Parts: sequence; C-alpha cells; structure tokens
Amino acid sequence: MRFRARIVDLACLNHFSRIINTIAKLAKTCILRLTVCKLYFILSDKVANGGASMWCELSQGNFFDEFQMEGVAAERNEIYLELVPENLSRALKTAQNAKAVKIKLTNKHCPCLRVAVELPSLSSSSRIVTHDIPVGVVPRRMWNDFREPSVPDFDVSIYLPVLKTMKSVVERMKNLSNCIVIEANLSGEMNLKIETDLVSVTTHFKDLGNPPWASEDGCQSSLQGRDLESMAEACIDIKKLQQLLAGQQVNPTKALCNIVRKRIVHFILLHEEVSLQYFIPAIA
Amino acid sequence: LALRSVNSSRSAYACVFFSSMFFQHYCWTTVSQPCSKEKQFSLPCKLIIKSVLPVFRCVNVMEKNVEKCSISTNASAHHITFQLLCRHGVVKTYNLTFQECDPLQAVFAKHMCPNILKVHSRLLADVMIHFPSSQEEITLSVTPVKVCFKSYTEEDTDFSRTMLTEIQLSPEEFDYFQVGVDSEVTFCLKELRGLLAFSEAMSVPVSIHFDRCGKPIAFSTEDLLLEASFILATLCEAEEAAASPEAARCPRPCGRYGAEGALRCSGTCNHRGQAQRSSPATTGGRRELFVRAAAFSRPRGLRLKSSKSFTNNKCPNFVSQNSYLYKYCVFQFHSLFFGAVSYKKEAFGGTLQSLATASDTEEELGALHGSPV
Repeated sequence: MRFRARIVDLACLNHFSRIINTIAKLAKTCILRLTVCKLYFILSDKVANGGASMWCELSQGNFFDEFQMEGVAAERNEIYLELVPENLSRALKTAQNAKAVKIKLTNKHCPCLRVAVELPSLSSSSRIVTHDIPVGVVPRRMWNDFREPSVPDFDVSIYLPVLKTMKSVVERMKNLSNCIVIEANLSGEMNLKIETDLVSVTTHFKDLGNPPWASEDGCQSSLQGRDLESMAEACIDIKKLQQLLAGQQVNPTKALCNIVRKRIVHFILLHEEVSLQYFIPAIA
Repeated sequence: LALRSVNSSRSAYACVFFSSMFFQHYCWTTVSQPCSKEKQFSLPCKLIIKSVLPVFRCVNVMEKNVEKCSISTNASAHHITFQLLCRHGVVKTYNLTFQECDPLQAVFAKHMCPNILKVHSRLLADVMIHFPSSQEEITLSVTPVKVCFKSYTEEDTDFSRTMLTEIQLSPEEFDYFQVGVDSEVTFCLKELRGLLAFSEAMSVPVSIHFDRCGKPIAFSTEDLLLEASFILATLCEAEEAAASPEAARCPRPCGRYGAEGALRCSGTCNHRGQAQRSSPATTGGRRELFVRAAAFSRPRGLRLKSSKSFTNNKCPNFVSQNSYLYKYCVFQFHSLFFGAVSYKKEAFGGTLQSLATASDTEEELGALHGSPV
C-alpha cells in the first residue's frame, strides 16, 4: 500500500486547506478514501455521530500535481484510512506560503500520513516542517460500511438561501433551542423555525427556486400533481446545521437541500472541484 | 530593578533586569538596619503575581490613559505602592503587601555553554507557530550542519494518537551559530512562550545558550535598558547523565524533592537523576542546576547565592506565572515609561519616598505566587 502526492500551486493548496477545514468542522474522525482519480472524505451514519453522515468527493487532478497510489489489492485499487481531519487542518494551516506540500503514507511507529511542508526561508535551503498524522488503515472487510449514500426519495428539493444569511440566522436560533425545523415547498419557499415554551421564531425565505431533478423514467411527471404549496418539514439538531454552515468558507456554486418529510434532510453543496453531501436525520 | 520568578517545579526561572535608565526617575535610599552590621543594599521582597497583574491589565487602555506610573516603597511599611497617574487627574493607587524573602537567584554561566545560537525573535515565533498551543515539551536538536525543533516523544508515547511535528532549519538562518557539541535538549515550550511573545513585541534577537541534555538552556534577550532571561531545565537521559563526570561530584544522595517535579535519583547518585517533567533544578537546598564555577560581572551576571529559602516555608510552591508576568508586567512597563518620557516632565518632588534599589544592587521584586499547588 503506497501513497504519495504533492501540491505546488498555492491556490490549490489554499483551496485544499479550506476543504479540510470544512471537513474538520463536521467530523471529529472520518474516513479518507483514496482512489487513482479521487479523494473522498466519508462519515458514516453511526449513532456516535448523531446519525449524521457525510460524503465529500474531490478530483485529485484539481489539486495535486503529483499523485501516486497503490491500493490494497489490484482489483480494488483503493486505500481507506481513518483519521482526525483536525490534525490535517492544523498541518496545513501554517503552510500558507509554502513552496510545496508533500503528503505520504508512512509506517514508522504506526501508520501515518506524513505532511512535509517546504517553506521559504532567508537562507538558500528551505525550511522543512514535517507533521506525522497518525491514521488507521481500514481493513477491506469494512469497506462496505462506507459506500456512497444514495439520494433519498425526497418530498421537496430546494436551493438554499445565501449561506451567510442562513448561517447568521441559525446561529442566533441556536441560543434559543436545540432543534430547528426546516420546511420548504416546491414554490421556492423555505422556513426555518424554532419553538420553545417561551418563544417561537420563524424566518421566511422565498424565491429560492427548486432544482430540476430528472426522474428515472426521464420525465418529471411524478412531480406534477403534487401540491406546490405544501411544505415538507423535518426537525433536526440545530448544532449539526450550524456546523455545516459555519464550515463553509467560500460560497458554493450550487447549494441545495432535499427534505424527506420527518425523516432526513440531505444537503448538497457543490463547488467547482469538490462536492459535499451532508445528511442530517430528523429528530423523532 | 530586578523581577524574578520561578515555577512551582523549579524547572523554569525567569528574570528581567531593568537598568535605572529605563525609568524616568530612579531613586534608592539605603536603610541601615539597627541590628545588622552593614547597610542593607537591597530589599528583596516577593509579591503575589495575581496581585500585581491587575495593576497592569490592559496594555492598550493604559497606553492611552496612563501618563505616569510610579513604584515606591519604604522599608518600614510592608507594602509597595503602584500609582498610575492617568489623564484627567485620575490617580489609581495600589498598595500591595510584600513579604521579605531570601533572594531568588540562579547562576548560569552562559559563556561556558558550547552551543550558542542567536536568532531574530520573528524566526523563533515562526518556528513555534507550527506546534499546537497545547504542546508541552519540545526537543531542540543541533549538529554543526542542522538545527531541528521537534515534538518531544518518549518510549511510551502513544504514537497512534499523537501528531508529531518537526521543523528543520539550516544554520544559515541564524544570526550567530555555534555548535560545540552535538546535542538534543528537551525543554518545556509552555514556559518559554512568555519570553517569545515579549521578544517579538520588542523585536529583538533572542540568544539561546545550551549544552548537552540535562543541563539548562537559557533564552535571553537584551537591549540598552533591559535584559530578560529565561532559564529552563532540560530533560536528561539517565544513561548519559550517569556517564557524565559530574555524577561523581555529587556529594550525597538526593532524595525526592518537592511535591511536583519529583527528582528521582538513579543508583549512582547522579544529582540529575531521572527527571520526569522538570528537572535538576534544585536539589535539597542546593542550586545544583545553576552552579557553575565562574566569575560574573555585576550587576548583570546571575550570581550564586546559597539560598536556603526553597527548603523552608518562606518560599512556598508557586504556580508558574512567568509568562503572564512578562507578557503583561514587563511589556507594559516598557511602553508606559517610554510614553511618560514624552509628556512634560514634572518633578516627582516629594511625592515619592525611597524607591527601588540603585543600579549596582538589586531590589528584588521577585514576584511569586503563594498559593499551594
């Protein structure tokens, strides 16, 4: 099992760091899956995570100028590593003006991702900062736990409002209640509601637009006949929503959510080079 | 004026000397004690750091509001008076009781150290930033061609849970680089952060003097008016210490010392023993760590004084507050006084009584925190 990769472009490095920062805000521990073409950050929906799950996918070619890997076996040329994304975030944090960053899988005392940052220095030779991040190698028999989640059969799909606005609304609501109700309809309207014994607050968004989803038989007939005004709602843990929004440092190209009434809310945030899906189950 | 402090496990010692010229006005009147044969040249006293800090709490606010700061005492009153003369005629007076104490001094012959590095504080800050703020100990490893700072690890470190960081620098990055002996010393980074912040604020180079592991490492900065040093104990490997010639010199077996930083001695009494966290700072009354046979120039030299105070109740355990002291106290003195110089100079006149010691002796405002650890 081998892995080595290198980033030399500062813009790519910053972008990659931002993605890692976002992941670090969502999960304390997650799985990094490496294939020849892509990297995936996966959080499976175990109870320990509060049932939330995450799937983040990026094409390595958009970030690394060198990327070599050799998986566990020839027919499954993949590597699954369990790591603490905060460590990776920290290692990259001080690499803002690095000449190059190399990442390598090593096994000195234990399996580690070695991040070597080459920094400019006043002298002729560069300064090299090495961070050894311990990782756990996930055995093949457990790989099935980390399959890509399918898009749920949602009741409503809607584009999210400007994330910055949504974030500040949710942050204030967080002080008042532990759970928040997201409801939306197919007319581009969304409400965020909290309700406690003392107070209830609702923020209304409209004209958000609903993304067109092609259904399996190629037509959208299943949507017709649905009441465009009726709201589909789900009550979710407000902290998870806040973490998701707080981790977004750049505005995504597309941001939408799919709501399955009283079951789950599925967020999809798309940037040019990375896609992030986050599932927050509804609180019973 | 000297400010000194030691941490509770005696593994870090800090001192800052202010030349009398640092102050706008500096006056000392010796007081002769009726019962002692000679005049008392200094007034060593200790204050609780937690009491002093609130006086100098917010640098920014102080820079705008405070016009002058005066520190005064007289020997008969057992307090030191800090007076902040602020704008609009506001005067804040703080009377802090002090306790007399035996002088707290460390002796460390910097010029006897085989390894000396001098580097701008900016570089040190850039190096330390790569370590998490929770990183306790780091190891500095030098050879004539390489300098490396890395997270400290020991045999029973759980590598599967710890992230390790290592920074390699070339000797060319240092303003002065002398490595007489290859060495690897481990010291407590947390204790040092105060000096790092201070020297970065002053933007001065930092000198690092050290030897092999087990011997202390000194970080110091100086400019025309003040000199700050942090002397930290370093961890030592038992085997190395046992082999060192000094081991034979230790005259008697030393047992446990203090509640924290217990020094355990290995079989052949090697007074450095197997230091756990802190080290060989002081052993039962003797300041072995800091003893070097050398002459020191006054007043800057750190002199040897046999100090029994650490074994008696006068100097209780302290909580390490050096970093706060220097971050808040010293730095604010610095800016305060320079600010004051630019205001109209009014004579202090009779408002001050006898003040701090003259420049060739020291008043020890050894600031020590007296709460039990």
